[in-house]
Formats: sequence, C-alpha cells, structure tokens
Amino acid sequence: MDTLVLWLLVLVFAGAFVAQVAARVRLIAIAPNTFEITHPATRVARVLVEVFGQRTTIRERPIAGVAHAFVFWGFIAFAPYTASEFLAGLGIVDVTDSGWFAAYRILLTPCAMAVLLGILFLLVRRTIIRPAGLGTNVSIESVVIALFITTLMATFLLTWWIDESTTAGRINWWVHVSVILGFLALIPGSKHLHLVFSPITWFLKSPTLGNLPNLDFEKEEVGLETVKDLGSKAVLDAFTCVECGRCQVNCPAWGAGKTLNPKTIILQTEEALLAGTRDRALVDLYSAQALWQCTTCGACENQCPVGVEHLPILIGARRGAVSNGHAPDYLGAMYNNLERRSNIWGLSYGEREKFVETAGLETFDPAKHDVLIWLGCAGAFDADYQKSMRSLFEILRAREVRFGVLSKERCTGDAARRTGNEYVYQELATANIETLTAAGPKTIVTSCPHCVKTIGDDYRTFGYRVEIVHSSVYIAGMLNELQPDETAPASTVTYHDPCYLGRYGGTVDEPRALLARMNAQVNDPVRSRDNPSCCGAGGGLLFADKEEEPGTRISDMRLTELQKTGASTVVTACPFCSIMLKGAQASRQADVHVVDLMTFVNGRVRKL
Amino acid sequence: MHIAVCVKQVPTRDWQPRLNDSGTWIRDEDASFEMNEPDAYALEAALRLKEQHGGDVTVCSAGPARVTQVLREALARGADRALHVQDDRFASADVYGIADALAAAIRDEPFDLVLTGLQSDDLGAAATGVVIAERLNRPHATIVMDVQVDGGTLRVKRELESGWFQWVSMPLPAVVTIQSGINQLRYATLKGIMAAKKKEIRTVTPAAAIDARQQIARLYAPEKGKKTHLISGSPAEAAKELVRRLREEARVIA
Amino acid sequence: MILVVAEQRGGTLNRASWEALACAQQMGGEVSVLVVGAGVDAVARELSAADVRDVVVVNHTALADYTADGYTAAVTDVLSRITPDVVLFPHTYQARDFAPKVAARLNRVAITDVVAVKRDGDRVVFVRPVFQGKLLADVVSEGDAPCIVTVQAGAFQAAAVRRGASAAPIRQLDVQIDEAAIRQKPEPPFQESRQAVDLTQAERIVSVGRGIKEQANIAIAQQLADAMHAELAASRPICDAGWLPMDRQVGSSGQTVAPKLYVALGISGAIQHLVGMKGSQTIVAINNDRDAPIFEVADYGIVEDLFEMVPALTAALKS
Repeated sequence: MDTLVLWLLVLVFAGAFVAQVAARVRLIAIAPNTFEITHPATRVARVLVEVFGQRTTIRERPIAGVAHAFVFWGFIAFAPYTASEFLAGLGIVDVTDSGWFAAYRILLTPCAMAVLLGILFLLVRRTIIRPAGLGTNVSIESVVIALFITTLMATFLLTWWIDESTTAGRINWWVHVSVILGFLALIPGSKHLHLVFSPITWFLKSPTLGNLPNLDFEKEEVGLETVKDLGSKAVLDAFTCVECGRCQVNCPAWGAGKTLNPKTIILQTEEALLAGTRDRALVDLYSAQALWQCTTCGACENQCPVGVEHLPILIGARRGAVSNGHAPDYLGAMYNNLERRSNIWGLSYGEREKFVETAGLETFDPAKHDVLIWLGCAGAFDADYQKSMRSLFEILRAREVRFGVLSKERCTGDAARRTGNEYVYQELATANIETLTAAGPKTIVTSCPHCVKTIGDDYRTFGYRVEIVHSSVYIAGMLNELQPDETAPASTVTYHDPCYLGRYGGTVDEPRALLARMNAQVNDPVRSRDNPSCCGAGGGLLFADKEEEPGTRISDMRLTELQKTGASTVVTACPFCSIMLKGAQASRQADVHVVDLMTFVNGRVRKL
Repeated sequence: MHIAVCVKQVPTRDWQPRLNDSGTWIRDEDASFEMNEPDAYALEAALRLKEQHGGDVTVCSAGPARVTQVLREALARGADRALHVQDDRFASADVYGIADALAAAIRDEPFDLVLTGLQSDDLGAAATGVVIAERLNRPHATIVMDVQVDGGTLRVKRELESGWFQWVSMPLPAVVTIQSGINQLRYATLKGIMAAKKKEIRTVTPAAAIDARQQIARLYAPEKGKKTHLISGSPAEAAKELVRRLREEARVIA
Repeated sequence: MILVVAEQRGGTLNRASWEALACAQQMGGEVSVLVVGAGVDAVARELSAADVRDVVVVNHTALADYTADGYTAAVTDVLSRITPDVVLFPHTYQARDFAPKVAARLNRVAITDVVAVKRDGDRVVFVRPVFQGKLLADVVSEGDAPCIVTVQAGAFQAAAVRRGASAAPIRQLDVQIDEAAIRQKPEPPFQESRQAVDLTQAERIVSVGRGIKEQANIAIAQQLADAMHAELAASRPICDAGWLPMDRQVGSSGQTVAPKLYVALGISGAIQHLVGMKGSQTIVAINNDRDAPIFEVADYGIVEDLFEMVPALTAALKS
C-alpha cells in the first residue's frame, strides 16, 4: 500500500517538476543560440571551483557563504541517502539494511548538523537581519524552503531515536519523503531552480568579462530590441538567478541611488519571458534611464555566485536602442565626435600632432623601436593626462626603451562599443586594425585600461592579435631598474583600482609593486583589487551631462571611500578614473591629492 | 514638402594637407573624405522639417564617384533619395561650376526648399547656396539659425553680427544656407544604414560644360599655427599689453 | 577703378567698411566708394573723409531695410553704369548674403574672404584661406571685369585708411528698384532676451575656477566681466560649491560655449572643462601655475597671481 502511494506521489510531483522545467528549457531552446563552449578546460575548472567549491558565494559574504556551503555540501552528502530511501520505498531495491549504509548514516549525522546550523542561520538572516541585497519583502517561498530543509534534517536526525517500524517512525519517514517531493515541485518555479541550472550557467559563462558578440551587419543584426531577441544564455541566466542581490549591492549605480539595479534587470527578464510578452521592447522593460546608468564596471557579473552575465543583456539592449536612434543626446554628440573626429571629445587632430611634436615622439618603426605607445584619447588630447604620458616617456627614455607612436591613431571605439554603437565601434576598429597591422608592433604599451581591453580582447575577435600591456605592467617589469629617490619623503597613498585594469584585466599587483618600490605605503580602500568600486566614467558615462541625477555622483561616492583610508594621496592608473576623481576632488575641494601612477612613480624615482 | 539638401564631400578635418605636383590643388588620393560639416547641419534641419511637415528629403551632391559615400551617409541618416551629379572635375571646381551644375540638376524637380550649409570646409567661399538661388531665380536667406514653414511662406531666423538676429519671411520655393551648430546632429543608426542600402542614388552627368570663373594659381601653408603668447611683466604692464593685443591683434574687445 | 561697397545698418557705418577701403587703397589706382540705403547721406559724408575719387550714394525707400533682393538690384544697377575693375565688399554677414548674388547676376563668381592682395605682373592675385585655414590660396579671376571680392574682417587695418586733403565729392545716383520684386520681408533685428543667462550666445565670457579660492573673491571677476561687457561663468567646482548658479557652468556637464573671447581665471583646464569652451575664438588664461593645462589651449597666457592680475586688468580696460 505504502509503495503504491509513494509511486503515485513520485509520479505526480516528479511530473510537476519536469513539466515546469521543460517549459523553461523550451524558452531557452527557442531563444537565439548564444551558447559558447570555447576554453572547455577553463570552464570545467570554474564549475568545480565555483559550484562545488562555492568560491564566489563565500568570498563576497563569508558567513552567509559558509552557511550556504554547509547546506550545499550537505545536500550532496545526502543525495545517495535520499536515493536509497526512495529506491527502497518504491520497492525497487533496498540497500538501507546493509552495513555500509549504517556507516554512511553515521557519517551523515555531522553533515545534517552542519546543514541545520547553516539553514537556521540563513533563515534568521533572511527574516530578521534582512540585508538590503535581499530586497524589501521577506520571500515567503524562501522561508518555506528553509523550513523544508530544516524538516528534512530534523526527520533524519530523529531516525536515531525513533524506530522506523513504529507508527511514529513511519510518520517520520513519510514526512521526510513528502518534504522532498514538495521540494521537487517547488524548485522550478522559484529561485531554487539554481540547484539545477547553475552548474550549466557557470559552464556557459564567458571566460572573459564583458565578452560581447560582434554584430554582423550583413545579417542585419542590430542588437537586442525585444524580449525575443534575448540569447539563450541570457534566458538561462534569468531562470538561474538566485536573487541574492550581490550584483545589486556591488553596483555603483545602485549604490549612488540611481534607478539601475542589475538584479531587477534579471528578474524583469525572467518575468517577461514567463509572461510570454516576447515583443515587448527591452528599453521599455528595463527603462531607458536604468539602461544608460550602467558603467559596465562588471561588478555585478564578477560577484554573481551562479554565473549570470548582466553586461551582454544591458549592452545588448543598448545596441537595440542605439540602432533605432534612441541614444541619449550626450551620446549622440559623442558618436558624432567619433564619426567625424575619431576621438571622444571631438577635438582637432592637430592637438594630437602638437603633443606628438612637443613630446618629441617618433613615428613607430618596428626596426627602430621596441614598443609602440598607444596614446589613447586622453593621452592624445587631454593636456592634464599628457603630464602622465610625459612621465611615462621619461621613465622609458631613462631606461633606453625605444618607442614610437602611430602617425594616425583613432579612438579604439571602447565608448562606442560599451554604449551599444556597434557601427561606429566596428568602423574605428577596422581602421585601427589596418593601421596597426601596417605598423606591425609586437608589443603595445598604453596607459588606458579601456584600450587594453578593446585592443587586447575585442580586436582579437576580428583576428588581430598583439601583446598589449598596461603601462603599469610594462614598467613593473623593470622594477629592478627603478630606484626610489631617497630625498622623496615616505608617503601613505591609497590606490584606486580601475575597473578595466583590476576587474577586467586582473592587473592588481603590478601597480602596488611600483608604489611599494617608490617607498609608498599603500592603504587599500574598502573596495579594491579585482572588486573595486567604479569611478563612474565607464560605459560612456564620462560624457553624461547629468551624471548625478538621480542620486549622487558615483565619482563622489568613490572619492569618499578613498578618503576614508586616511591617505592624503590617491593614485590611479586610468585616464577616465583620473578625470572623474580629480573632478570629484575639485568639486568638493577635498583635502586629498589625486595623481596618476606614472606621474607618481616618475616624481619619486631616482633620475638616471 | 519636398526638400533638397546640397552637400559637399570635403577632406576630413584631421587631414594633413599634401599638395599635387603643380601646387595648385591637394593630392586627392592622400585625403580621406567626409560630409562637409555645415552641410550636415543643413541635412539635420531638413530631416527635422520633414518630421514636422511630412514630405521627403533629397540629398544632392556634385562631385567625383567617391561622393556616393556622403550620399549614402545622408540616406542612412534619413534622407529619402540621392542625386549625384558626377564628374571628376568637380573635385576642384569653383563655386561657379558646382552651383551651376547643382542648379541645373534640380531645376526641374518640384523642390519647395533647397538647404545647404553656410560654407564648405574646403574652399569656404560661403557662396554656393546664394548662387544656386540666383540661378533658380528663387529668394534666399543665409546664415540661418531657425527655419519655420507655414503654408507657402518661409520664415527664417538670420544671424546678424554682434549678437543680433532677424526674422525674414519669403515665399516658397526658396533657398536657405544653414549656420553650423543650430541643431544637434543625429548619428547614423544601424537601422538607417541598412535602410539606406535600399534607397536610390540617381547619377547624372552635368548638363553643360563646367565653367570656371576663378583659378587657384598656388596653394601653400600659412606661416604660423596657433601658439600661446605668454605675456610677462608686472601686473600693470601685463594688463596693458594684454588689452592692447585683445584690441589690436585679436580684435575681440572694443 | 576699384569700387568699395560700404556697409551700413540703420544709418550706422560698419567699421569693416574702412578695412575694405584700406585694402582698396593698398591695391592702388582710383578708388570709389558706394553706399546704398535710405537716408544715408550722413554715412556718405563720413566716408568722404577718405582719400577716394568720390562717394556714390544710392538712397531709395526700398533700401531702408536690408534685403538680398533689394540690395542686389541696387548694386547691379550701379555696376551697369559705373564700370569698376574690382568691387570690394567687407566679408560681413550682409555681404555674404548678397555679394555672391551680385556676382552671379553678372555671370561671375565672388572671390570671398580675401586676406591679402598681391600683384603678379599685370594680374591681381587675391590671397584667401582654404581648407579651414590649413592652406592659403593665390586666386586669380578668370573672365571679364568687374571682379567681385569680399575682404576678411581684420585682414586690413581701418586705421591705415588714407584721409583726403579735403572731403571727396559725394555723388547721388538714382536706381530703379521694383519693390514688388523684393521677396524677402525682414522683421526688425533683435537681441536674444537677456532674462535668463545664455552663455551659448555670449560674445565674451570671463570664467572663474578654483583659483578664486573663496566666494567673496568672485566680485573681482565680476568687475572684470563688467569692464569687458562679458558674461560671468565658472568651472564645475565653483557651481558645485554653490558660489555661482549651475546655469553659469561651462564644460561637459554644463554649457558648451563659443564666444569671441574667453578669459579663464584660475582655471586649471581639466578636459571636462576644455571641451565646453574649445570653440572660443580667443582664449586668455590667467593662472599662477605655469603647468596648468589651460595654457595649452590659450592664445594669451599670463602666469601670475590672479588676485594681482585681475584688478590690474580691470583698471587697464577702464583707462
């Protein structure tokens, strides 16, 4: 009788599970295929570390992360137990009387205690502590799930005291089994679907941050316009999201009180997919305001514990909007600058030539020069940033590095690409690749992390391969040749990691090594290294004329964090960060000095 | 409303001058080209008028084969069709030759309004629009900041000097030259670029011989580029010297 | 003979006319001046002080307000009766509006924006900037006289005009104008309302940056702006601090301006500020930091404490 009832229940609940999962799998299947499996070894390794090792889950929130890890690892430990119980209950095979099963039960006991400890902590955190990232309302469903897990563990532990053959024992067994079945039915419709999808999502997540498909104009690709344009990975992401809010609390826009919340973007995607509003314009779904507040800093993706990629969705939707002429006015002006002047500020090319002349730069010749210096827009046109470039040149010249520049250099197209103007980006990229190929450098050195990303990663997808390194990496490579000037006073500085250098490029040690070499003590700010908070300039927001609305300026927020280190000097290594932080410093008349890394190093290095 | 916009293709602003062997014109093959910026504002003004009043925008250019690039760009930005008066000699033709050819090409078309930029970034004569108006015997206005159309009447805001403006009315059809910077240029969208591929560019040869009324005997670089003059001396001396230079050299104060 | 077409509006002579006259005198030969309008005898008398053969005056009620059609008709009518070799206009906004039309009606083309005149044997060579001033062109006219030319403002010195020993004769000339054929209907000229600050329309701007140190010091910049008939503006830190309202902010998060004169006081020249004022015709920078990036874009720079320099400059302007 019990067996028959269990069969019936299993069929009903497993059926409910399969039906609900199938509906979502079908939505993934009909979406344009964006699954990529390049670098399989990297992907497998990452699944192991991230899913089974719970790396990101723990790194961001150690206590809650470990609690979650207890529950997760406990589940894995319990899987054979649950399977055995069901096989026995369904009358297929009974191994529960074997000796090894008894031993296994003993081993499971501490696991059950750990799970219990973990889940009770998580329950308290969700219902009583309630951190902002989890949203304003307590999720009833999460509470139910937590109680389910508690019940599962409790019913397991009770088996030590209650004999299974007694009535109480049978009730205990049935409660245990029913909870598992209920759990099964609840999973697909809730954030707990991540139990099923997250290993796949992690495997399919791009190995490089900010990896975007190039649009093929011949195929009339214009970016993501409506819900049905969302790619299969984006759809999978929407169903995998575990709503933990790590993306939200790490997002500079959300932190500054703006409309954008990366978690909301994913939840809105899920809702629209399930509602079947496939022709809904994404710019309406997410709101234009939110869409244009993303700095593309990548914090959301980097902190996501289940492998969700926000940037392809946000930038994809920007592409759709831009392709239809719906870019904000300040970007329209910037696009015209790029189209007509090939630089983001629309300045006359003569300005670059004046700098090239006054700085005594030679035109790159592979026979004469070791490296090509890529000036970038700031290096070519911003008189303030040119001081940093001159410092770099001085350091290089003193060490007899032979370098040259291109006679004609255009913006890499970074600002166009991140804001969704793929047409202007590809025009610039094609022209630059042609110039670079003709010049033939083996190594390019630049002070702009955005140029490193665009030339190094994005141009590669057009088949252009070159070694491009940030100036901090190149100069750190000659650390032994750099002696600090003894007369320079000891100094305490804080270092602001640029997002495109630290998070995208993973370059975090070289700038610090240079600072330490120059006898500077580095106090890291609250967010640093591969999870810095953004200066507010990325993703085209350098040009936003009303960057502060609504909310505060992202740059002000970051400068405050940097000031809290107590250091009187802020060092950074990106022209955009430099512009934003100097702007924030000037506007607040803050008692702190913002300086670029190369200027700092050159000011303290012993002159040869 | 049927609007024609006359655009010119000129060397890009970041082009560095290289001269031909005789030193009378530039080396065309070294230059990269773009739409004359003042004409881009004229095109934008035309597109806005079309959005307001309906009708269509035809973009016209007299030039060699390479001119299709700017015509295509204009179509991508929203022009409906293009007219190309093609001849290699237009590359270095004077205002007379270009204006004559354009006027002849659009004479028989039912345009209510012909717009063009105030001047070109190459020759900078600031005359083509006026000459077209004279050739077509249509009223015109130059250095226009705002264009209003009400039935058969055109009302434009002209820029005078020293911060003065003036509204001028005239009957349509008419010719107007647009001051740069009067509007925010739209950027070329992917949708527009794709749509442009399906639009028509009609190519015609000039109706008559291309006459010239002026000849460039020699082209050469001017002596100095922009330089910062640092003025030294005591505050009083420096102030006196700066005021003198602003009055006499720069002529920016009375 | 060279005919200079002087420009007046509402009976006031445009001083650029003197520059065109200077050019004509420098070219040599007989010079005649033409002034057209309604009731412009006083302007003619003013012009008669120059060393010229005569001043031709055309008075007609249809010429009271400038119209391209009316002025073209008047000048072409004059040119059918007196036959100069060269007709010189100042390259003003008005001349740009109708000088090419006069030339076209005569089946010629105007040589515009001339900065110098040379002789090459018996040919007159006009020098004009081309390709955005990157090059100069020596231009010669093809075809018959007259050759229609406009002269760039500032290329010739008004002060260089030779005065006559006695006033030149003034000659009235009647022209036939069909008033009904004037298609342009002008409205009275106006200046943009000064209610709200519109820096984008300002001819001159005095802009203050952090070097001003305190809100109270803005007064010295205001005094300079008043003496220069300039608008007061600021860089972002000043407006963020609330020392001046946001509508006075120049830069990428404020206004983009293009005045004839931009005076930067204590502004270091961050790129976000520079992009908002790079279109200015003449830039003056006063800053005590010689390395400030603003000097890279300035036409005139003074490395000096602005608290010393600004009052001195205000005084120099007033004297």
